[in-house]
Amino acid sequence: MGERSILIAGIGGQGVVFAATALAKALFLQGLYVAQLQSYGAEVRGGAVLAWVVYSEERVSCPFTDEYDLALILHQAGLEEAARKNLAWRRAVVDSDLVGAEVPGDVDVYPVHRMAVEAGLEGRENIVMLGVAAGLGYVDLSHLERALASSRGSEENLRALRLGVELAARQK
Amino acid sequence: MRSLLTGNEAVAEGALAAGCNFYAGYPITPSSEIMHIMAERLPRRGGVFYQAEDEIAAINAIIGASWAGAKAMTATSGPGFSLMQEGIGYAVMTETPLVIVDVMRAGPATGQATKPAQGDVMQARWGRHGDQVVPVLAPSTPQECFDMTVRAFAIAEELRTPVIVLSDEFIGHGREVVEIPGRVEVPSRRRPRGRGEPPFDSPDPRVAPPMPPLGEGYYVLVTGSTHDAYGYRDTRGFETHYRLVRRLWDKIWLNMDKLFDYEERNAEEADVGFVAFGSTARSVVKAVEILEARGVRAGYVRLKTLWPLDLRPIRRLAEAARAIIVPELGMGQLILDVERAVRGETRVVGYNKVGGGEPIYPSELARFALEVLGRA
Amino acid sequence: MPSAEHFALKYLRREALPTAFCPGCFNGIVINALAKAFEEEGVEDLRNYVFVSGIGCAAWIPSPFMKVDSLHTLHGRAIPVAVGVKLANPGLDVVVVSGDGDLGSIGLGHLVHAARRNMDLAVIMVNNLVYGMTRGQQSPTTPPGLWTTTTPYGSYEYPMDVCRLLAETSANYVARWTPAHFNRLKESIKHMLFRRRRGFRFLEVVAPCTTYVSRRRGLRPGEALKELLRKSVRLEKPGKPGSGGPGERIVVGVFKDEDKPGYLDLYYSYVERARRGGTHG
Ligand SMILES: Cc1ncc(C[n+]2csc(CCOP(=O)(O)OP(=O)(O)O)c2C)c(N)n1
Ligand SMILES: [Mg+2]
Repeated sequence: MGERSILIAGIGGQGVVFAATALAKALFLQGLYVAQLQSYGAEVRGGAVLAWVVYSEERVSCPFTDEYDLALILHQAGLEEAARKNLAWRRAVVDSDLVGAEVPGDVDVYPVHRMAVEAGLEGRENIVMLGVAAGLGYVDLSHLERALASSRGSEENLRALRLGVELAARQK
Repeated sequence: MRSLLTGNEAVAEGALAAGCNFYAGYPITPSSEIMHIMAERLPRRGGVFYQAEDEIAAINAIIGASWAGAKAMTATSGPGFSLMQEGIGYAVMTETPLVIVDVMRAGPATGQATKPAQGDVMQARWGRHGDQVVPVLAPSTPQECFDMTVRAFAIAEELRTPVIVLSDEFIGHGREVVEIPGRVEVPSRRRPRGRGEPPFDSPDPRVAPPMPPLGEGYYVLVTGSTHDAYGYRDTRGFETHYRLVRRLWDKIWLNMDKLFDYEERNAEEADVGFVAFGSTARSVVKAVEILEARGVRAGYVRLKTLWPLDLRPIRRLAEAARAIIVPELGMGQLILDVERAVRGETRVVGYNKVGGGEPIYPSELARFALEVLGRA
Repeated sequence: MPSAEHFALKYLRREALPTAFCPGCFNGIVINALAKAFEEEGVEDLRNYVFVSGIGCAAWIPSPFMKVDSLHTLHGRAIPVAVGVKLANPGLDVVVVSGDGDLGSIGLGHLVHAARRNMDLAVIMVNNLVYGMTRGQQSPTTPPGLWTTTTPYGSYEYPMDVCRLLAETSANYVARWTPAHFNRLKESIKHMLFRRRRGFRFLEVVAPCTTYVSRRRGLRPGEALKELLRKSVRLEKPGKPGSGGPGERIVVGVFKDEDKPGYLDLYYSYVERARRGGTHG
């Protein structure tokens, strides 16, 4: 399969790093090698946050890439930060509620925020996005569930994952 | 056992596996996680965790602990590393086994506390006054953070020297798969065979003198001033001083074959060669793949030990290559030694970038290499 | 059989003698007070002691003259090194001996924090009122008006009273004497090392530098001793505290004497809590 990569772009407080860590853990449980990194100012809340995962069947040669297979874009600020860094992706999933600008590339757009609120899952848009990634086949749902099983509010997280999977199914 | 660990977590696991039983430190980003883990784990396993009042106290406390028989370490970042320099020099002079981990961040001064950099390279080498050299290990991955921390303890104990592990924020906070072996062997320091065996001299400079324990009637005299074989100060004589600093110097340099470690690819047939270490070397590996896919012969030397530095692999790379590129998250420090190795026979160019958490991307390195080759 | 040897000799490294101190230096009296204390307590040898010192003349008292494991550390860093030794091997008796510059200036932060933590150390600060080793510069304890090589027109800064400062912390024991109070000095050392065996114990010895203070002021060692006696005021006696400057009083006595749990007592109960606590190891 070679090395694959997923970028998560958002804003402080959205759980971008948490989602990337859960994603890395899931891929690790899947038996893959992963490298997960993030870029944010730990001392300020509300700034743009980028976190990413590179994974492979072999040891990851390089955890840095400016070209991702998939980007999960949770917020306008994250998108702008990614643009400033000239990051590119093959496919993007965008929360149309929190991202105003046009996103380049092959893009799936969902009102993730609104749907999360309606489902009583406000604040778990990050996990919904992971569900979408699972629905699109980038990561196994069962391993994501395991990775999130011990987290706080794991019930809600599992529901959020399923909501994401449904959204992805709609697109297909 | 296979785990998903950050570089900082892997450092702590490596230290514990190596038998570290004394940690003193002062909080500083991006190294603090190492301290947090030691705070949680050491007291429960009969070790000592000590939060010192500053980094000066931390380095000096581990010096005392080491003399009292502990396997001692500290971890810090830029500003704290600066404060520790005098203590590291004292550890060199007194031949005190220590492990110091510096998780590099962007400086100078407070700089960008949460952002990676590679600007402490020359400080690790030359940061102290006087003639001295300290082994410096440079991990590129969390796996190497584990392995090299273990190795740092082994070197420290065997050669009675402080050892520096030079990590950075990318490695420290990056999470990757780490294979943790079931058992780890670290040699223990040698005690004197009798009261007569001098604790501060050795017939073979490659072999460290034995280290007497405290409290057992050796009446050891430890001093950072120039001293003779038994620790008596001699702050005037040429013989004593030259003999001592020469031996301390040789103890490291003459153990090059033991201490120096590197990895290379296509070193003898590359048109363009990279020399790198740490997180930046990860991008080099990928950049070489990109270049090869384009039909460009590229290669690299990745330094796993920064000092003592064997220049020969770099020289070999330079013999074939039309250009050598030295990428660094900083304004360029390692490049000085690369230039020294190459002696002007091949073009050496830096690729320098630092701040804001920006990595050097493999794609930009590959582009740069093509440009350099076009001009070479 | 009564020995004709000086009582201090059994605790000294003969090959290191004579000491490198200036003739008339009070550091010799401090060595004698230490030796007398050990002798009176029947201590055969000092193998269970570790003496740690910084840089300066006072720091040379244990290193190399005393026959004991000693660490002669960096300037100002005796305390953290001693802390490391004590915490790594609590069975050792760790004693710090250093100067007013070493402990009171460059190393003051460490001193105050060790006292705050009631760290299990005995500390002897030989306050010679100047930086002796570097040729008589002003120190944080230099009394107002005193000539030093960096205050050639007389010191004008407010000096520091290290005993009062430390008495405000959680230190268990704080005392000050001078070489003119030999018995008191020796008894304080015995108290620190043998009666109160835990927590932070601090003794200041006001011992003006023979070369850069007394001789400069035209006093011979004997006269300097007499002056110390004359200027000393017992802490219990009411009166204005002074810092021992020319014409000033030196407040001597025991500022504090408690037996609270020391750092190690607290650390051990913390470790107990940690062991009962969780699941990691
Ligand atoms: C970092 C550092 N700064 C300065 C010195 C130079 N120095 C050596 S001893 C000393 C002062 C010692 O004064 P004190 O502690 O009062 O000891 P004394 O010699 O008076 O007994 C100084 C400043 C040093 N060794 N290290
Ligand atoms: Mg002094």
